[in-house]
Amino acid sequence: MSLAKPAMRGLLGKRLRFHLPIAFALSVVAAAAFKYGVTEPRKQAYADFYKQYDATKEFNNMREAGIFESVRPTGK
Amino acid sequence: MFRAAVRLSVSGARSLTWTRLGCTAPLAQRCYSHGGKQETDDEFDARWVNYFNKADIDAWELRKGMNTLIGYDLVPEPKILDAALRACRRLDDLASAIRILEAVKDKSGPHKDIYPYLIQELRPTVDELGISTPEELGMDKL
Repeated sequence: MSLAKPAMRGLLGKRLRFHLPIAFALSVVAAAAFKYGVTEPRKQAYADFYKQYDATKEFNNMREAGIFESVRPTGK
Repeated sequence: MFRAAVRLSVSGARSLTWTRLGCTAPLAQRCYSHGGKQETDDEFDARWVNYFNKADIDAWELRKGMNTLIGYDLVPEPKILDAALRACRRLDDLASAIRILEAVKDKSGPHKDIYPYLIQELRPTVDELGISTPEELGMDKL
């Protein structure tokens, strides 16, 4: 039983034409997933935190805790 | 809005990839220079058969030819391999002859139907020249 002639040319080109667009698309999907799954929530968390942030109040809390050297707690 | 841009750029990139590789179909290995006429597959084969058929081919030309040929996106036709094996015979180079068979098996990659076909086509040549295939020597196993 003699074997038929298989395709012998352009095999890598055919493979690349198939796989490269998929690879490119999957990379873009991965980047989008990371952006919307990680970085955007992270940015939103920071924004939400600082929206109601009272710097003066936090400074006074830190001052009373005695962590500064340049300004002593109000008691002393 | 960014999602829309992503979708557009993906489809744009896809069509870009298609047009860039669009000229591959039968002439897989010669897309680079568009100055002259494109060589057909038969012309390519004939050129390489002539290369290896040179009566006084030397060892360097044999190695150079094989290395260049292996660099293309194709598995060489049986007639090219026949000419290369006969060149090995003229140069008393059995090692290269067996190596050529190993190389085309490797070039086939995942397409396991190519190598058996080549051996079938080259069987008369291989028997005539007294070349053992890597399988007959047990060299195909690690």
